[in-house]
Amino acid sequence: MGSIVRRSACMASRYAPSYAARRGFNVSVRDEAAQNFTMPALSPTMTEGNISGWRVKEGDSFSAGDVLLEIETDKATMDVEAQDDGILVKVMQADGSKGVKVGHRIAVTAEAGDDINSLEIPQEDASASAGEPAKKNRPSPQDETEGGIDTTESSPSAAEAPPASRPEADAEAGGASATRPAAQKAEGQGSQGDKAQKQKYPLYPSVEHLLRQNGMSKEDADKIPASGPGGRLLKGDVLAYFGHISKDYPAQASARLSKLSHLDLSNIQLAQPAPKPDAAQPAAKAPELELPKETEVAVPVSLSAVIATQKRVQDSLGIFLPLSTFIARASELANEALPLGKNRKPTADDLFNSVLGLDKVAKTSRGQYVPQVTGLAPMPLAAPTKSAKKPDILDILAPKKALKKTSAVRPGAVGVTTGENVFSVTAKLGEEARAAEYLGRMKMALEQEPGRLVV
Amino acid sequence: MFSRLLPRTAARGALQAQNQTPHIIRATPVTSCLQSRISQRRGFATPTEEKDLVIVGGGVAGYVAAIKAGQEGLKVACIEKRGSLGGTCLNVGCIPSKSLLNNSHLYHQILHDTKNRGIEVGDVKLNLEQMMKAKDTSVSGLTKGIEFLFKKNNVEYIKGTGAFADEHTIAVNLVDGGETSVRGKNIFIATGSESTPFPGLEIDEKKVITSTGAIALKEVPKKMVVIGGGIIGLEMGSVWSRLGSEVTVVEFLGQIGGPGMDAEISKNIQKTLGKQGMKFMLNTKVTQGDDSGETVKLDVEASKGGKAQTLDADVVLVAIGRRPYTAGLGLDNIGLETDNRGRLVIDSEYRTKIPHIRVIGDCTFGPMLAHKAEEEAVAAVEFLTKNYGHVNYNAIPSVMYTHPEVAWVGQNEAELKEAGVKYKVGTFPFSANSRAKTNLDTDGMVKFVADAETDRILGIHIVGPNAGEMIAEGTLALEYGASTEDVGRTSHAHPTLAEAFKEAAMATYGKAIHY
Repeated sequence: MGSIVRRSACMASRYAPSYAARRGFNVSVRDEAAQNFTMPALSPTMTEGNISGWRVKEGDSFSAGDVLLEIETDKATMDVEAQDDGILVKVMQADGSKGVKVGHRIAVTAEAGDDINSLEIPQEDASASAGEPAKKNRPSPQDETEGGIDTTESSPSAAEAPPASRPEADAEAGGASATRPAAQKAEGQGSQGDKAQKQKYPLYPSVEHLLRQNGMSKEDADKIPASGPGGRLLKGDVLAYFGHISKDYPAQASARLSKLSHLDLSNIQLAQPAPKPDAAQPAAKAPELELPKETEVAVPVSLSAVIATQKRVQDSLGIFLPLSTFIARASELANEALPLGKNRKPTADDLFNSVLGLDKVAKTSRGQYVPQVTGLAPMPLAAPTKSAKKPDILDILAPKKALKKTSAVRPGAVGVTTGENVFSVTAKLGEEARAAEYLGRMKMALEQEPGRLVV
Repeated sequence: MFSRLLPRTAARGALQAQNQTPHIIRATPVTSCLQSRISQRRGFATPTEEKDLVIVGGGVAGYVAAIKAGQEGLKVACIEKRGSLGGTCLNVGCIPSKSLLNNSHLYHQILHDTKNRGIEVGDVKLNLEQMMKAKDTSVSGLTKGIEFLFKKNNVEYIKGTGAFADEHTIAVNLVDGGETSVRGKNIFIATGSESTPFPGLEIDEKKVITSTGAIALKEVPKKMVVIGGGIIGLEMGSVWSRLGSEVTVVEFLGQIGGPGMDAEISKNIQKTLGKQGMKFMLNTKVTQGDDSGETVKLDVEASKGGKAQTLDADVVLVAIGRRPYTAGLGLDNIGLETDNRGRLVIDSEYRTKIPHIRVIGDCTFGPMLAHKAEEEAVAAVEFLTKNYGHVNYNAIPSVMYTHPEVAWVGQNEAELKEAGVKYKVGTFPFSANSRAKTNLDTDGMVKFVADAETDRILGIHIVGPNAGEMIAEGTLALEYGASTEDVGRTSHAHPTLAEAFKEAAMATYGKAIHY
């Protein structure tokens, strides 16, 4: 019972369509306004619920959207909101009632403005709970004729409804039904596709025209099976009813169209998963792999300034900074905003952005160079060395590129001398200038002011 | 029933005014439940706070879903990697192209048409730069508008590139540098589509362009070849043809406008566009392209085999369609599947096989149209908040904004023949319509296709002035299952172009009055 859910009755009525449709059933002219209010189905699976409490007292009026009561199910506690304005005439299942079945009467309501003292409490509608079609209360003995209508039989109803002038009829379509005996409201049940049902909206011009032409009144529309969207009565339905076209055709046509109204998700052919780079075999193939043309760019760099700084830091602060830290930080700085290679093509994103004028096609980008350092004269240093990572399969696959790309491989201090070292990187074709710029910056950073790298 | 409505509504208004106390928020169950949880959580928000909904992509599908979800009370974040919202449609698609289409039409009209109407304009000069500026003003106004709507509806706008880290987490590479991640109970993928490249030609958006480059050319090319005679190709071809390019459209199929356009309508618009100066090569395929020189050379031949020839163009517009764009989204990280055309696989409720991840818009099934994406966005959010949403895919209109415009909804004759449905056709030409006559703009017609038995409208196809606006009426009729008689018996104002619509309907179930 963790969360409290407020569910609008409008929502609930989707699961219990009979609720709304039933409002007109079993009412005589006298007690037209009193209706049974039944336990709504608040979820498709709900069969019964407990009444936690009524929020509206007997005799009080409520307006649409007010919470009428709180219902507790095995899943949650939900508020039931009024769908329409009205008065709560009588509560039939008091607070705390347990296990009230869906569709069972829990109260009697009346429409707003009714005098509740003069109302008669209606009988519990037994058939309603199961959602069966309610028995029809039509005063006229005229039963629905199967297939085509006998004109002699329908003529009385045509006579009853004098031909109204068209515009008026259009404007009042629906309004007219309110003046009919209330019992006739019971007409129509169920909201499924091609069943006859009450036409709540103004009739389509073609439908009304056909009815009149055939001596029927607008009220007769309610007994013609309707195949349109939302149970609307279409011209084809009327034609079928009068036998002008095959009886099943409108329903078939609607079924075809309703299929078209959904995305066709049948026959989806899944993409084959992209072939995974097979790590096992290429060892032998490796030499055949064509590597992009590369050149090696190298610059001699003296590390004496760095070592002096290293010593100063250790003396003054007692912290030992390995050479690799200096080199890594210098590399970090040097990689920033390097000029683009000659061969670099703008990506789709760059082009898109430049069309939008969001930013120009980039002239620079961050480099990913990692220098290889070779000491001219090996000299042992007290630097804690990280052993270079063991070459993995990628290294074998792309022997030259690997070092450049794997940032995990820190420029180690192996073989670094205090004096001249050669810093080198491999550059792709057309990117020599980029690499040279990078190395120039490295040299500058390490030789001129290494102190700034550690501040 | 209705006679009662009036006094009761008034009473209800009065009642509600008094009763405002207890139920200020009337919400659907899901949202109210979320709201209660959200309010509990407020106060100790952290950067990795979980959202109710995270949307990847701020295009039409994404931003509409974000706004709708915000309105429904969900806590929502929208990730967009371009610096601006609105996606292809607003930035480089529908909107800027319509600006160019409208203004190039004005220019073309002043150049060739206004004299006959008694308006003599002196020296007419094209200022392309200014025309592009006018376009940019429209675009930036609209995209800023969406940002405002985001703020108004409490949508968090994350500028960056999103990728799935796991089923609930999107790692975002921020545009302004840095990274963040955002968790969502629900995730929508709305990453849209990109132009399909033509094999052998490299898109540089200057010489070999897609629709993106076609709205931003710096000068009017002398010769332009459009590969693909679909809607995008014909619209952009129109723009540059009006501005003075010699435009040739190469189309593989036997008709322009794409397979959805009715064949009769397609022939009609081809004739009119031909008169305006565009050349068409139908049933022709491009076998090879060479963009290494100053100009682009294209080898073409008849699609069923035939004489080959070489076309030479300053600019080649590749408009052979669009394909879903999901690169870099990290679909592999969560094992989401695409079909053989790159579309993300969904069920009828837009769910992937991971049910809390849904896909809407161009990157999944259905026509790649902004308004379709918009409908799906709303429906998908409603599946979250109301357990039900619906898009009627049979009533989604298509519009081509050439002049005259072409618009259609529902099925065309070829499709109905294939489905074996008996149908009847009614047409009405704009040359018999009073308003079109007074406008001296009489090219085109309205065509209804209706069920032969029931008269229910199955498709409406229009080529003519204002067809794009007129199709709205047709879509409504289709949505309501109307018959042509229903349209024919509905009053249409006189004198309007819409009267042609009514008369075409009358011609379907009976006879038109004025033809």
